[in-house]
Amino acid sequence: MEFVSPEGLRLDGRRPTEMRQLRAEIGNVAKADGSAVFEMGNTKVIAAVYGPREVQNKSQQMSDQALVRCEYSMANFSTGDRMRKPKGDRRSTEISLVIRQTMEACILTHLMPRSQIDIFVQVLQADGGTRSACINAATLALQDAGIPMRDIVTSCSAGYLNSTPLLDLNYVEDSAGGPDVTVDKVIYVDFALNGRVKASVLWDLWLYFGSYGLKET
Amino acid sequence: MVVKEEEMVLVTPGEVLGKATEVKAGKGAYVAKHNGLVYASLTGLLRTLSPPPDSPDQRPTVEVTGHKAHGPVPEPGSVVIARVTKVMTRMASADIMCVGAKSVREKFSGIIRQQDVRATEIDKVDMHLSFRPGDIVRASVLSLGDARAYFLSTAKNDLGVVSAESTAGKLVYCISKYDLNIILFYSFWIFCILQIASNIISFITLFKFS
Repeated sequence: MEFVSPEGLRLDGRRPTEMRQLRAEIGNVAKADGSAVFEMGNTKVIAAVYGPREVQNKSQQMSDQALVRCEYSMANFSTGDRMRKPKGDRRSTEISLVIRQTMEACILTHLMPRSQIDIFVQVLQADGGTRSACINAATLALQDAGIPMRDIVTSCSAGYLNSTPLLDLNYVEDSAGGPDVTVDKVIYVDFALNGRVKASVLWDLWLYFGSYGLKET
Repeated sequence: MVVKEEEMVLVTPGEVLGKATEVKAGKGAYVAKHNGLVYASLTGLLRTLSPPPDSPDQRPTVEVTGHKAHGPVPEPGSVVIARVTKVMTRMASADIMCVGAKSVREKFSGIIRQQDVRATEIDKVDMHLSFRPGDIVRASVLSLGDARAYFLSTAKNDLGVVSAESTAGKLVYCISKYDLNIILFYSFWIFCILQIASNIISFITLFKFS
């Protein structure tokens, strides 16, 4: 199947190094300490952060830093076919772990000992790149909650189809079977990379993405 | 600390605010050890505070104030207003209501131990004569305490029971450093003060009678 036309356009009309439209809103969930809705094209994700608050399970309490918990779930209606088990399956557990590790590396946990920070991320509409949208939404929600962080975490996915590197894959391109990578990067402080990039053009675009639209006024 | 200038600059986490040799990191900022730079850790407005003129460290402090103001939290050394909830033989429990001049947003518990009620004759303190449930107390926070409550102390002259109700529901006046009584003592000093006090409404804080 042809994912990149001879003119250099993808299935949805984008250029290979073009991202989908980004939209973000903060403060949607009034009860949560911080919340954000993040959209990357058709992928829509909502994140809510509670914390720092008292640890509910005293056995997990850490005396020198905060406990970060993360739960990723997909709404039943988020994909084309209604999902049977939105939480608890292996993919959700793995993505929860990845988001938790990324956020834990960025939050200044030593400032909030014996407390707990809960990050809940739910996918409302899935069209590829849900992992990236979740990390971006979680970053915004943490900033809305006023939790001190080292830096802003940005995330994007990229793949390689029809001998062309493509940025920000949607669902069709994601399920095409080619290699793909999701990279989380902090924009100002140089550390904590979770992936590797082969094409240098994607690197510049990630830096551009990182400074775009993630500063709230 | 005097506020040197109020800049309306919005910063996000990870932005460089200066070098650690030139500025001090206040609230909302942190120092990265590997390159000695001060970065912001919150999203908000940047403020630079001048150092007090007598301190040895003359670096200005940078701090970032977020838009979500969290309620005040008792710190060791701060003066709090608390309401006594339980009185036991060796300690009294109290609910902390205000820290300094601000009221708290969440519930904080404090404990006043027998040895922290006053500075003299600490082993002869009778908790039931010192406190009653419902008394309003001004205390200072000794430490974060254990997992259940902060440790409070009333062992200074300006600390202690500030306002109380008698068993009949009437407001109780303070007449001396140790006694809070609705029955009047016929002494010259107290008589004079009570002449004035009888025209003043509301509660009187503890004064040292010398």
